[in-house]
Amino acid sequence: MSNGDEPSIDRRDLMRLLAGVAGANALGAATWGALEVLLPQGNADTWTKAVCRFCGTGCGIQVGMRAGRVTDVRGDELAHNAGVICVKGSMLRALPYVQGRLTTPMIRRGGKASPLTPATWEEAMSLVASKFQEAIAAAGPSSVAFYGSGQLFTEESYTANKLFKAGIRSNNVDGNPRLCMASAATGYTQTFGKDEPPGSYEDIDHADCLFVIGANPFHCHPPLHERIMRRKRLHPETTIICVDPRRTDTADHADIHLAPVPGTDLLLLNAMAQVICADGLVDVPFVTRHVRFTDGNASTDFAAFKAFLDANYTPEQVSQELGITAIDIRRVAHRFATSKATMSLWTMGLNQRTQGTALNAMVSGLHLLTGQFGRPGATPFSVTGQPNACGGVRDTGALSHALPNGRVVANAKHREEMEAIWGVPPGTIDPKPGLPAVELFEALGDGRVRAALVMCTNPAQSLPNSAVQSANMAKAGFLVVAEIFADSETAKLADVLLPAALWIEKEGVTGQGERRYQYTPRLLEPPGQCRSDLAILVDLAERLGHGKLISARTPETVWDEWRQVSAHSKYNFAGITYPRLKELRGLQWPCPTPDHPGTVRRFVEGSDPLVHPGTGIEFYGFPDSKAVIAARPYVRSPEMPSSEFPLQLTTGRVVEQWHTGTMTMRIPELRDGAGPARIEISPSDADRQHVAEGAPLRLTSRFGSVDGLAHITDRCRPGTLFAAFYDVKLLINRVVADHVDPVSKEPEYKVTAVRLELAQS
Amino acid sequence: MSWITLVRVIGTLTCLLTIVGGWLIARRNFARLSDRPAVSLGIATLSATAFWKLSAFACIAVLPAATMAVANYHTFVGVHEVEACSQCHVMRPMVNDLHDPNSDALAARHFKNGYIPTGQCYACHSDYGFSGDMAAKMEGFRHLARYTTRTYKEPLAARTRFDNHQCLKCHQGKTPFESVHVHGDVLTRLQSSNMSCLNCHGRAHPTRADRTPGSARYSALVQAPSFTEADHE
Repeated sequence: MSNGDEPSIDRRDLMRLLAGVAGANALGAATWGALEVLLPQGNADTWTKAVCRFCGTGCGIQVGMRAGRVTDVRGDELAHNAGVICVKGSMLRALPYVQGRLTTPMIRRGGKASPLTPATWEEAMSLVASKFQEAIAAAGPSSVAFYGSGQLFTEESYTANKLFKAGIRSNNVDGNPRLCMASAATGYTQTFGKDEPPGSYEDIDHADCLFVIGANPFHCHPPLHERIMRRKRLHPETTIICVDPRRTDTADHADIHLAPVPGTDLLLLNAMAQVICADGLVDVPFVTRHVRFTDGNASTDFAAFKAFLDANYTPEQVSQELGITAIDIRRVAHRFATSKATMSLWTMGLNQRTQGTALNAMVSGLHLLTGQFGRPGATPFSVTGQPNACGGVRDTGALSHALPNGRVVANAKHREEMEAIWGVPPGTIDPKPGLPAVELFEALGDGRVRAALVMCTNPAQSLPNSAVQSANMAKAGFLVVAEIFADSETAKLADVLLPAALWIEKEGVTGQGERRYQYTPRLLEPPGQCRSDLAILVDLAERLGHGKLISARTPETVWDEWRQVSAHSKYNFAGITYPRLKELRGLQWPCPTPDHPGTVRRFVEGSDPLVHPGTGIEFYGFPDSKAVIAARPYVRSPEMPSSEFPLQLTTGRVVEQWHTGTMTMRIPELRDGAGPARIEISPSDADRQHVAEGAPLRLTSRFGSVDGLAHITDRCRPGTLFAAFYDVKLLINRVVADHVDPVSKEPEYKVTAVRLELAQS
Repeated sequence: MSWITLVRVIGTLTCLLTIVGGWLIARRNFARLSDRPAVSLGIATLSATAFWKLSAFACIAVLPAATMAVANYHTFVGVHEVEACSQCHVMRPMVNDLHDPNSDALAARHFKNGYIPTGQCYACHSDYGFSGDMAAKMEGFRHLARYTTRTYKEPLAARTRFDNHQCLKCHQGKTPFESVHVHGDVLTRLQSSNMSCLNCHGRAHPTRADRTPGSARYSALVQAPSFTEADHE
């Protein structure tokens, strides 16, 4: 500063001032820069979209990775699930690193009694091929079988189906979807002429009444439960009706819970239909235009259908056997019919039943009667169990009676179509349906089937009457199991064990419950010598002399072949290409061209490209474009309580565990969270039988016995027991009945008559 | 006048006083002040030197400190108000969606159902306030730097994990939370934010796709939100 009265600033002062300002700014910028570098980036460096490995919801996920390892998994907010996954999906990060992976082929060098010992792929596959060839030479093509899974990729199930039916010429191709989804498939087919749900998950967002029957989404499809609750919280006037013999967590969140006696709920559906018809709740214009009636054999009319219901299914007539009051039946029927949009959601409670087909068809029938169809929120939606039961098995026809895209082997025209598409000589495909799951393993025991390949499933634990079926597998001529662990109940019985790649150790496409195909990328190297199931099938095809037939050998080439096959059907998803799948969060078929956005509501004009303009709704599965409502008489389950077996057992999943627990019991959070499986019993039954909490029990049915510990809970209605099937220490399927639905051949897991005794501790 | 406006007025006044006082002081030649007569303040009479030294102290130390205090108070406490968050236009999609009764996002459902009566943004993002940790402050500084230098890109993406404590502080210990035994299965992971609550309960705000310029919802989402007096109570 100068020495004058008035201050002034010289150049030096100005430079100092500017330097100070610059220094302060530099300090701020340096701090910012340091923060950009130093602030943590979260748990992962890269995020890649993929699909959850577990249930049929088929959630889109983001896989977070750092240094080549999966470090985090979160929901993909752009996928159909809007970022919501569940505790199993959240723990997928641990799945690739669980202990005990099978990493090398294993064979028994000294016959059945000898231990499984490591072998090379060449040794193992040579042995498999020679045993298959031996069986085919000695007893024909139908002496070999494939038993697959709703957890294989579509490319794998398609290839297996083609190899066995058009190459080996054996229709003995079945899989675990027979155990969970077969009744849904036959129910839809009998009603609409085509399998697969007509609606979408997004219908939940529009429904004013959600009719949840025989399903427990809180535990089994948590993101769907969350979506239902999102709807409820956003629109509290939405009515949630839950029909379940148990007061499940889903029932706790419902407005109305009806607890029928296990095995009787066709009475409920028929009585609801009776109320709808008697109280003038039928949507007459919809029914007149879009529906025809049958009595199961011949065409009838609405009057005949109503007379059938009036004769035996008034609420008062069914109330006692059903265990639900007539008032509640009427209340639910009216709510179902009069809501602005009703969506039904069901799964194994209706599917795993000796009347599974009838139950499935009747739920759809209620929607047709009331016109609750085709509008947003109005649809009958069968929730699927596994991540690729719909796309991989139902669509590809990888079941013993089926051919791709809704065709069946018993139909000569269908066989001819597939023979032409696959380029095999006419007459190649055996006209006789193969063996469905339960029969297939019985045949393995009695020698009708001499060699079988089991992939990606654990039937020794999951089949009903599993002690007998395990014995059949132990007796089998030759059992090959492709597995990720050597200690699954089925792997222990194998003659050859093949190490399989898991989840993101291979790439492929899965089709979840709303006809949506989604792509899973390969992000990890498989451990050891593990191979994808597709690679195993291609190798087997080559060794059995069908290399020319199985010319597509990479996931993308198989997919390209498969989508072109679909173009010859009403499934048509030729427009769902690999590049689109890699870019988009899946696409719903029909999707005939690469620019088609996919079909949210099937059979509905404006959404479904196969519907003719001007029709509004067109059920093109049948020649007359009408859906079918059939009179379905209630048939009492063979497993109703008796003096010898006074209780009824139902089985199911728990939220932390997936199927037989081979994967999820190796993840500490999920293992500890689920704890050991227990036999759940109502307080009144426990009191009557002097059962204390944790008491050792012996459960006995007509099929076998199993010991387990008691858990007393008022979630069970009196007379009903429950046990989950994930725990090898409680192999509950040893007592579960293996009666099957006569149409779908799906076993009745949900109803087994049992008796209970205190076991020796 | 709302309290937030009062804070702003006080902050502005102290800032102006600092500038004016600083200018006057800079024009003084303190070496010549001793010759000047005393300055009468009514209650006391000071020598010119003492007066200007006290003024200098006020302008160089007291008023800047007061300005900083008011500004920080405004920053930390002002962000309790949703309106304060919406001042940055990149936050408007969050605020507009929060107020949308048809939005199914977690924040909007909390708002619609009145789970959080006031200060909705801050209720779940309180680590930007006085109570947050240093990491949140550093992240906040980074956001400020990005925003003021316009070096951000829409749609914004969270860089770090959301701190689950923001959820747990209300939900943990309550029956709806405790009755879901899955929460117990992974409680350690939840408490350490190793697993996001959003995994099972969905996104909190509009999707990145909706927040991308040019999307169908974008223009509606970036409209200036309107607030009523009730929003400030």
